Amino acid sequence: MSVLKEMFENLTHKPATILYPKEKVPIPPAFRGRIAIRDEKCIGCSKCAVVCPTQCITMVANERPVEVKGKTITRKKKPEVELFACIRCGLCEEYCPTDPKAIYLTNEFSGAGTDKGVVVK
Amino acid sequence: MAEVIVPVGPQHPALKEPVNFKVVADGETIVRLELDVSYNHRGIEKAAESRDFVRVVPLLERVCGICSHSHTTVFTKGIEEAMKLTIPPRAQYIRTIVAELERMHSHLLWLGVAAHEVGFNTLFMWTWRDREAVQDMLEEMTGNRVNYGTNEVGGVRRDLTPEQIQAALKRLPKLEERLAKYAEMVNAEETMLLRFKGVGHLTKEQALQLGAVGPTARASGVDYDIRRDDPYIAYADIPWKVITDTHGDVYGRTLVRVGELQQSLEMIRYCLQNLPAGPIRTAPPRAAPRAEILTRYEAPRGELVHFIRTNNTDKVERLDIRTPTLANWTSVAVSLVNQNLADIPVIVAAIDPCLSCTSRITVVNPKGRHVGEMTWDELSEHGREFYRRRGRR
Repeated sequence: MSVLKEMFENLTHKPATILYPKEKVPIPPAFRGRIAIRDEKCIGCSKCAVVCPTQCITMVANERPVEVKGKTITRKKKPEVELFACIRCGLCEEYCPTDPKAIYLTNEFSGAGTDKGVVVK
Repeated sequence: MAEVIVPVGPQHPALKEPVNFKVVADGETIVRLELDVSYNHRGIEKAAESRDFVRVVPLLERVCGICSHSHTTVFTKGIEEAMKLTIPPRAQYIRTIVAELERMHSHLLWLGVAAHEVGFNTLFMWTWRDREAVQDMLEEMTGNRVNYGTNEVGGVRRDLTPEQIQAALKRLPKLEERLAKYAEMVNAEETMLLRFKGVGHLTKEQALQLGAVGPTARASGVDYDIRRDDPYIAYADIPWKVITDTHGDVYGRTLVRVGELQQSLEMIRYCLQNLPAGPIRTAPPRAAPRAEILTRYEAPRGELVHFIRTNNTDKVERLDIRTPTLANWTSVAVSLVNQNLADIPVIVAAIDPCLSCTSRITVVNPKGRHVGEMTWDELSEHGREFYRRRGRR
């Protein structure tokens, strides 16, 4: 009989389904979403490319003077991420030495597309 | 009557363990089951040998879609043992919280799947709705619903803030109320009792002889749980008890899982309320000394074993993974004998093998008169139809 009672209780409730995309799904602040690069902060150390488990980060040539610990040096490379090879593990963000992080995961979750070769620069 | 071979599998890309059954049936009764496992070799063990201890953890997380935390915990636990590291208690507790949340989401998923296989889709909807609360908790704490990315060698990667702890504690009373309802429902609901009681029976002797693990073994009265018998992370500090049952059938396995759900909830509450202060990681050395480690873990489906050999480098020399589903397949072969063809879905689902795709079976009459195909859905439908026709006995 417990099921019947439960059924009648449920009749008086709203459906639990969230009508995406009309309604938005709540996203917690800790959510690991689409990867992004803050190029002005990047010092070109390559730590993110080394630690990436899927090796989706490549360092491309890009020369620019940057400031590290008060000294001005010339960075030679900057990272580029092959978006659909990224597994959003967040290791690159963890290993990035800059503050704020030059490579980080945003809260953006919807990333479907038809172009497989999307590159985040 | 001529025996009929009913092949099930093996090409199910979504299965953790692609498996081919050849079910030999005499009419409706299963005579024998032939098993063929290991079709979809992904080479994860080999891939693990070429990655260092930081990069191997996200790889191992992807061995399984549901026990993702289990595989990383058992691996990091083994490496930490080889490195002789002491992990801060806060990290141990966070690992335990995520592990038990994972068990809850796995068992709630299982309860829904089992209900779906017997045609009780209402319960399937209810359990999966309540499972969302667990998934939301995991997402809030770790940043993802499935691959939590919590573990690393030396501790955990993310700390819990007081707000996160409060938010999680607030969700627990509602969940507890729902679990109490399910516990009551499993004992009282006739739809489930008819299809679960006496189906897929496995005696204690058979369970021990065939090396069944997890809820499958515990439902046959085998009092064995790695969390108690070889305690790891924070299980030695937490008050909880091992759930066993003596029914030995699908009904018993349901009772064990529902009981474990309630135990898990209590464990999570205890861990959240008694979370020790302090650091969440210790800095591990880059390389692990030469060692051979056998590390065990009680995954939602049973005992998970990793064998790790390290060789003074930052990579493993050999990693061998024995998943609980592999240990449980043979018990399926035995418990299917003398059962009805209609009971295959529920008996196979009872070990929780993640049959999430549409398996196809081919019905072949040895006399060559009838060759046809049946999808998993058709087999489930046949099961429902069979019991509907037969009525109550």
